[in-house]
Amino acid sequence: MNSVHRTDRLIGAHGLTDARDRLLSADAPLAELQDRCGGDLPGTLAIPELLALVQQARRMGLRLARAFSAFDGDAEVTGFARIHPLGLDDGGGCEVLVENWQRSPLSPPSAREFADKLDAIDRATAEVSARLDARQQMQVLSARAPDAAALQTAALARSGTVWSELVELIGITHRQPLHWRLIDGAICQIAGSQRHWRVRLIPLGPDPHNPAGFELLLIADEPLVADLVADPGAQADAPETSPTRLVGTALTPVLRAPLARIIANAETIRARLAGPLREEYSEYASIIASAGQHLAAMLDDLADLEVVETPGFATAREPVDLADAAARAAGILGVRAQNRDTALVIEGARGAAVAIAEFRRVLQILINLIGNAIAYAPASTTVTITAAAAGEGRVAVCVADEGPGISPEQAARIFDKFERLGRGSAGDDDEESGNHKGSGLGLYISRSLAKAMDGSLTVERAPGGGALFRLELPAR
Amino acid sequence: MPRKMGEETMDLAADDAVEAILRDELARETRALGAVVPVLRHLLGSEAKALVSDAILARVRGMILDLSAQLLAALAGRDPATRAPHLADPAALDRWAETLMADEPLLGFCHALAAESLITERLQQRLTLDPVLSPLLQELIASDDPAIAGLAMHTLAAQSRFMQSQRRMELPLGELPAELFHAAVARAQGMVRGGAQDGTALMRLQAGYDEAASRLGLIARLVAAMRRGALAALALDHAGLALFASALAAATRCPRAVAVLACNEGQSARLALLLRAGGVALPAIERQLMLAEPAGRMPRALAGISAERAAALLADGAAAT
Repeated sequence: MNSVHRTDRLIGAHGLTDARDRLLSADAPLAELQDRCGGDLPGTLAIPELLALVQQARRMGLRLARAFSAFDGDAEVTGFARIHPLGLDDGGGCEVLVENWQRSPLSPPSAREFADKLDAIDRATAEVSARLDARQQMQVLSARAPDAAALQTAALARSGTVWSELVELIGITHRQPLHWRLIDGAICQIAGSQRHWRVRLIPLGPDPHNPAGFELLLIADEPLVADLVADPGAQADAPETSPTRLVGTALTPVLRAPLARIIANAETIRARLAGPLREEYSEYASIIASAGQHLAAMLDDLADLEVVETPGFATAREPVDLADAAARAAGILGVRAQNRDTALVIEGARGAAVAIAEFRRVLQILINLIGNAIAYAPASTTVTITAAAAGEGRVAVCVADEGPGISPEQAARIFDKFERLGRGSAGDDDEESGNHKGSGLGLYISRSLAKAMDGSLTVERAPGGGALFRLELPAR
Repeated sequence: MPRKMGEETMDLAADDAVEAILRDELARETRALGAVVPVLRHLLGSEAKALVSDAILARVRGMILDLSAQLLAALAGRDPATRAPHLADPAALDRWAETLMADEPLLGFCHALAAESLITERLQQRLTLDPVLSPLLQELIASDDPAIAGLAMHTLAAQSRFMQSQRRMELPLGELPAELFHAAVARAQGMVRGGAQDGTALMRLQAGYDEAASRLGLIARLVAAMRRGALAALALDHAGLALFASALAAATRCPRAVAVLACNEGQSARLALLLRAGGVALPAIERQLMLAEPAGRMPRALAGISAERAAALLADGAAAT
């Protein structure tokens, strides 16, 4: 019998399931994938291909070795899974080893393909579809959902009216008919339905600038729950703004590809890869690139902001070793620190401060704090990250820099949304160090995340006079 | 004709039974005879020459008999690796072989292995390509990463065992994919439950199985370990058929057997589409086609086919058969 050695460098992740295919424990990458696939830890294995392999290995009682792939929301994860079924004495589950863990961002499809795909998805999921003429007047409408039956009747009775008179558009006060592009994507409500519906207007005919008519689709944002149908009294608790994530789900995917292209091309010009160029032009290109990077970072921040502000936003609860998280965050920012000759010092032993929180959120906060410290403190200084216990049932991780520090007035505002304080005069080479002119959202998001994990994020004066940010979390 | 009741009816009944048996026998033999010409025509037909040659038939039959011998050995409580077909009851061996031959997936798997070994030998004759140690495998063995180098060494050993056992027309049970291994062992277990045979050897066989340690498992792991470099394995003359087929299967997510059989003569459209779906550039595809089939031509329309369309065409083709 050849057992698998954990020291094998090919092993990318390790996990353990039980007799009911619940993932009991997993290394960070596997745990994150499980989370991104919508599963819990511990909880039923949520990665479809791995689940099938585990079930097969258990059923046959054989050790399997198969390639698997999964989509984690942003990127394709591939790996080579080795599944070792365990005896009943060992829990009756499986040992899961993934070799060659690999995460590759999907190459973004062309804008046109992407739009076609979105249209196809919307057509497939629309519960109301209609045909309009060139002036957006109703020709025919058919509804599949029971709560849209009233709309169908109304459309039949008032054929020829502008379609928007039959629904209630939310957030659009202009009178119809508006240009179709302004309404495409809007949210509306319809008589007899408690649900929010997304409007799609897809132009028909050979000339998109002068459409011969429109395909109207209404796509419900929520599934139809039995008691939501025609019960006008029960509306009270429905959130005023339905959690439609405009930035994260609609804007970010569309904008990311062109932004990446702008940045890449500007970098090419800046580095004079395509041929000799006058100094000034190279500098302009460098400004374009850093502005592009700024926009990209801003987009990420706005998407995050949307997530933390969604009603009912919750984080996972798992043990997080703060010293480990700090070391990883420092590792990620190592190159940036090196560029400014900043030393990153981590104090506190692993295992000494273990919080109950969500690992990737803690990592996100730490990257924000350490990134700020690197950017705003003078070059060639030290940033100290300390993980330690902090009183009754709390643990804390502190990030202290040797910069100019923060005045009490600044401290009062620093966590506000879009607050930028004009800090950073000490970082005298903004251009060089890249895009540290943040969106003013980083600390706001970090504090919101800390609160969502029953923790807190505060700022105080470091012993050496710089700024000290303290993230406190409930201890395990 | 008046007839007495009694004996004669009895005799008639007995005759009926005998005749019925003979009639069945005759029908079976007629069927066998009737199958000869179509099978012959198929075997002699130019289309299928490479796909069902005598050499392939002999190897498939040999592998099935070898698997039967191993299962019989395990049922008799012996180590299956010793096989010892002379110890087995020839009738039992035939019965097992007949049962296993009825297993279509198993037959398909053995066929692909036989084709793989024959194509490998052909490449050796034509290109002097080492059937065991290809240039790519050599590079991988010399890798800086000890894990990859180790994996490549194991693969080398497994590939050398494979070529040897193919010459002997044998197939160790442990080289079967998990599904086929499971089906074969489950059949044997059914016999244990029915009869008085010992099941412990089967349990040992099952516990010792590790797909990751089989030749195909090792090659698949090696291809996965090459990550993006796996594109380098999409060249027959560089990677050798074994790595080439696994890399092509991984890149296009088609069964490995399909990738192997696409390297046969007369399958160049499939090979071209597979390579296209795997993201190989046109000039490189043309070169690979020449290697697989020197008389072959690249389908002219290929230039206009995107990788996605190629994958879709292959999927349509698979669904149609």
